[in-house]
Amino acid sequence: MSETSGQPDGRDPLGRDTIPKFFAYNAQHRRDRPAMREKDLGIWQTWTWGEVDGRVRDLAGGLAALGLRRGDKVAIIGDNRPELYWTMAAAQALGGIPVPVYQDSVAEEIQYVIEHAEARFAVVENQEQVDKLLSIRDRLPMLETIAYGDPRGLRHYDQPFLRNLADVFKAGTAHNQANPGFVDAEIAKGNGSDLAIICYTSGTTGRPKGVMLSHDNVVRSANLAVSFDKLNETDQVLAYLPMAWVGDNFLSYVEGAVTGFCMNCPESADTVLTDLREVGPTYFFAPPRIWENLLTTVMIRMEDASGIKRRMFHYFIALARRAGRNILEGKPVAFTDRMLYALGEILVYGPLKNVLGLSRLRLAYTAGEAIGPDIFDFFRALGINLKQLYGQTECTVYLCMHTDTDVIPDTVGPPAPGVELKIDEKTGEVLFRSPGVFVGYYKNDTATAETKTPDGWVHTGDAGVFTDNGHLRIIDRAKDVGRLTDGALFAPKYVENKLKFFPHIKEAVAFGDGRDHVAAFINIDLAAVGSWAERNGIAYTSYADLAGRPEVYALLRGCIEQVNRDLSSDSSMTASQIKRFLVLHKELDADDGELTRTRKVRRSTIAERYGTLIEALYSGQPSIAVEAKITFEDGRTGTFKANLKIDEATTYSTMRKAG
Amino acid sequence: MAFFFEVLIGGLMAGVMYSLVALGFVLIFKASGVFNFAQGAMVLFAGLFFVGFSEMGVPTWLSLLLTVAVMVVLAGAIERLVLRHLVNQEGIILFMATIGVSFFLDGFGQTIWGSNVKQLDVGIPTDPIFLMDGDILIQSFDLWAALVAGTLLASLVVFQKTRTGRALRAVADDHQAAQSVGIPLNVIWIIVWAIAGLVALVAGVMWGSKLGVQPAIVGLALKALPVLILGGFTSIPGAIIGGLIIGAGEKLAEVYIGPFVGGGIENWFAYVLALGFLLIRPQGLFGEKLIERV
Amino acid sequence: MSSVTEKKIGDVLLKVENISLSFGGVKALTDISFEIREHEVLAIIGPNGAGKSSMLNCINGFYHPQQGTITYRGEKRKQMRPHQAAKQGIARTFQNIALFKGMSTLDNIMTGRLLKMKAGLFSSAFYKGPAEREQIEHREFCERIIDFLEIQAIRKVPVGRLPYGLQKRVELARALAAEPTLLLLDEPMAGMNLEEKQDMCRFILDVNDEFGTTICLIEHDMGVVMDISDRVVVLDYGRKIGDGVPAEVKNNQAVIDAYLGVQH
Repeated sequence: MSETSGQPDGRDPLGRDTIPKFFAYNAQHRRDRPAMREKDLGIWQTWTWGEVDGRVRDLAGGLAALGLRRGDKVAIIGDNRPELYWTMAAAQALGGIPVPVYQDSVAEEIQYVIEHAEARFAVVENQEQVDKLLSIRDRLPMLETIAYGDPRGLRHYDQPFLRNLADVFKAGTAHNQANPGFVDAEIAKGNGSDLAIICYTSGTTGRPKGVMLSHDNVVRSANLAVSFDKLNETDQVLAYLPMAWVGDNFLSYVEGAVTGFCMNCPESADTVLTDLREVGPTYFFAPPRIWENLLTTVMIRMEDASGIKRRMFHYFIALARRAGRNILEGKPVAFTDRMLYALGEILVYGPLKNVLGLSRLRLAYTAGEAIGPDIFDFFRALGINLKQLYGQTECTVYLCMHTDTDVIPDTVGPPAPGVELKIDEKTGEVLFRSPGVFVGYYKNDTATAETKTPDGWVHTGDAGVFTDNGHLRIIDRAKDVGRLTDGALFAPKYVENKLKFFPHIKEAVAFGDGRDHVAAFINIDLAAVGSWAERNGIAYTSYADLAGRPEVYALLRGCIEQVNRDLSSDSSMTASQIKRFLVLHKELDADDGELTRTRKVRRSTIAERYGTLIEALYSGQPSIAVEAKITFEDGRTGTFKANLKIDEATTYSTMRKAG
Repeated sequence: MAFFFEVLIGGLMAGVMYSLVALGFVLIFKASGVFNFAQGAMVLFAGLFFVGFSEMGVPTWLSLLLTVAVMVVLAGAIERLVLRHLVNQEGIILFMATIGVSFFLDGFGQTIWGSNVKQLDVGIPTDPIFLMDGDILIQSFDLWAALVAGTLLASLVVFQKTRTGRALRAVADDHQAAQSVGIPLNVIWIIVWAIAGLVALVAGVMWGSKLGVQPAIVGLALKALPVLILGGFTSIPGAIIGGLIIGAGEKLAEVYIGPFVGGGIENWFAYVLALGFLLIRPQGLFGEKLIERV
Repeated sequence: MSSVTEKKIGDVLLKVENISLSFGGVKALTDISFEIREHEVLAIIGPNGAGKSSMLNCINGFYHPQQGTITYRGEKRKQMRPHQAAKQGIARTFQNIALFKGMSTLDNIMTGRLLKMKAGLFSSAFYKGPAEREQIEHREFCERIIDFLEIQAIRKVPVGRLPYGLQKRVELARALAAEPTLLLLDEPMAGMNLEEKQDMCRFILDVNDEFGTTICLIEHDMGVVMDISDRVVVLDYGRKIGDGVPAEVKNNQAVIDAYLGVQH
């Protein structure tokens, strides 16, 4: 689209500097094009840009009638629902600032965000969220109004501050009739430096921080990304990742507003894979976990398929792995392979992509955690343009993106247009400057000053290296990069990711900073190891029992030794080989604070909680007694006692290069 | 090659006739879990009444209607006199009951209409048709039989989609649940047996036109057993395809294997095929795994 | 929950009078009488083998008591067949789950709606228009139930493949599809984990609240029942030993004895 291209700094050629101005533009120029869809009662409902504009204006009027003023924060909690996105747009139209909150947060987490953001309004999806808010309402004196979208089960709630969103819409219609031109005037008052959103980042340590992003940040970043990937109004996305995550906000809502493409909201969290198939998005973002799930689904199905089908599948997948990527990237491929690939497209790849809902996909991204090269290659081999993206909330989503033709699985690509990157010589930390650089942390100048240097560079907190072809490779969080006693570099996440690429390993925690060797905790993947055990006739009674089986230890030792071999081939990493490990008796869990909501390991919590286990790893003892309080499914609690075995793994030397 | 096709087509057409009988078995088995041994006798019974009415000078269409009425009354009687008293009994007891019904129908039909072979002519053409420049010969009667079977199947498929069809499927799946959503079990059973009776009538007319209406039909109808084993006891498409396989298989075997073993294998080939199949895939081609009904 | 329920419990919907039931000399129920009022949630509790399921089976016509009468909506009846009960607006679920295992969730629910379907054999076979419209209306109603019970994800899954807890939910959905006046639930929470139990409680209350459906449920776990019932009837060895609001019943000595297994 001409109106979104050009402008190397991402400024809009038509001068639209806030999201509401894009909504208004779309309502005029794309009045009848689909803007949003939601599956309701089994049927996809569509709203055009014209209809969305009407809803948003009504809602803006309603919020204004309830007393929303410029600069007020509106907490938004729930699954991806059109009315919650409309709330976002309505708040922005009035100069308010949406503060989306993770919908699975417990009441206390929500309380912190609302309190810290000083939100006067909360717009939530349903009874579940209302109940949470009511339970903390006494502690939130500034929260004036709670509006809910789905009235189910709320009929008898008679608190005066509770409002059905439908009534807010109605009030808004009346308000706007009484004040014609009100919403337009409010939209016109906005400008690029106004705040567009505050996203609270879960953070690996301490309290969440509110990242303030301005309209300039999101609009300019979106303009650059849209022309980089040639997105346009015919694209379709599935808005299924948490609304509180900046990625969903940017990829579905902001880019949707900027290009005018259509965002599709799934029916429920459980139906995402079905909805994906029905929507058939053209542009799709998914964290590695989802790609992994998709691949697992395929593999499980193939296990059940008939012999001929299975053989055909494996033959053509092998072919695809050989030739598919090159075909996708327009590189030379032998004629016979090209013909066979075309046949495979008809027999295997096409039907497969269709079943997964990926057949219309022309652009896909993954980010967040490292993705297994095997998984990554699988999808590219199928002809899906899957790429890596690297970024964070503080830079408005992205810093690096692969280009369509230059994709390397273990890098995150070269710096994206408009982004400047540098790596701190001493710490290895990546720093950036870009149009997306955040305004600051809300009410936290100290943290802002720590992150943003006076000359505009921002610390990412990630350690990385540039490869020879100019791609960035992230190895770990900068603060987690440590040194072994012999001075060798130790990047725990780099090691852990290599472990986690094995399907049997769900989570791994590596230790080594200030130690003479590397050791690790392993969390088994219950589904994968469970079915492995079943196939091998190993009986087990519980997660803990399975985790402690000697056969499982042997299985995992094999995985670890493979990682060690792999590490030994890289001179800078060979010292990071794992000597001793143990398999944890429980899953690391976000509810227990051991992982963040985005499933990143919280090292400090783990070091504190499992201190004795870590010491045992380094003490040379063969096992360690653990005792843990556990809650059974039916609510009873009990104590779990066991001896965790500590096992040794073989390490390998790198052609006598040891030191 | 042409000869092979001629045998194959002839076999397939004979298979259609087996399928017609097997269909009746499947319908009742699906809906009530009863293995209706009397299906063969019902074929004869229907055939006898039809031919009997015709011989009395009743026009064909009226005979047909009258026989339909007889089969519906029969279904009602079986439900009222036999099944209702055996609700919740073991499958084997119900099976035994159907053996009783079978002998009763066999005898009762012949008591009324006599046991002579009766010629039946409903005007289905029997001229041979030549295909591929006369290389392949097909009986036009066989084509008609296929057509009738196809129509029957199509109406059954449409029927499945109706309210009654849905109720039928519900009953087939779970009696208790079906009752609790308001489906009267007795009425459904009458409907099922009536439909099975109609299918038997169609089969009776077709078999009768081909071989004459005679008690031997009951024995021939037992060929449906291997068909069911092949196709699965609960699958309508299974009954059709199973019939085709058995029909074609036994004709081909007779022609190509027969000479080596002294011929006459047409009579037992189907059973051997079924036996072999039982060893490999006991639930049949399309059947669900047989779940014990308690 | 902070709801301030002002439920209007109405007149007697169903009255059980002096019901006795025996199987070949073994007495399952002896002289039971109680009432179910419109819009209430009535729980029948009691230890295993107390005759709770037998009571339910009498109400919806699976069993025919030798003595006593059941008056439903003012109409006295001695015997009824289950499908007649269904026609009069009594829907139920079963302790051991009775679903159409070969059908999908949606088909199960649609089948639950069979009584509401008008189109007969010929119209559905030949007159596509009206029959199709009717189908769409029924489908929409079923979708509302699917939405209500949050089972969208399993809409097309054959129910035989579902885990136990979800099967129970589908069974409830199928019962709701008939838009019943009286809903009988036979141990709706048996074999569920805590979270599933809480969900099921929420659904039961929501059904009662949203549609005004009268609910009579059986449960042997006292704790759950006390929270969601308006009234509780206690059976033990086929006899009624308690009847009242939960708080009363909880303090009833006979009930406490029955649950503790005191000999009579």
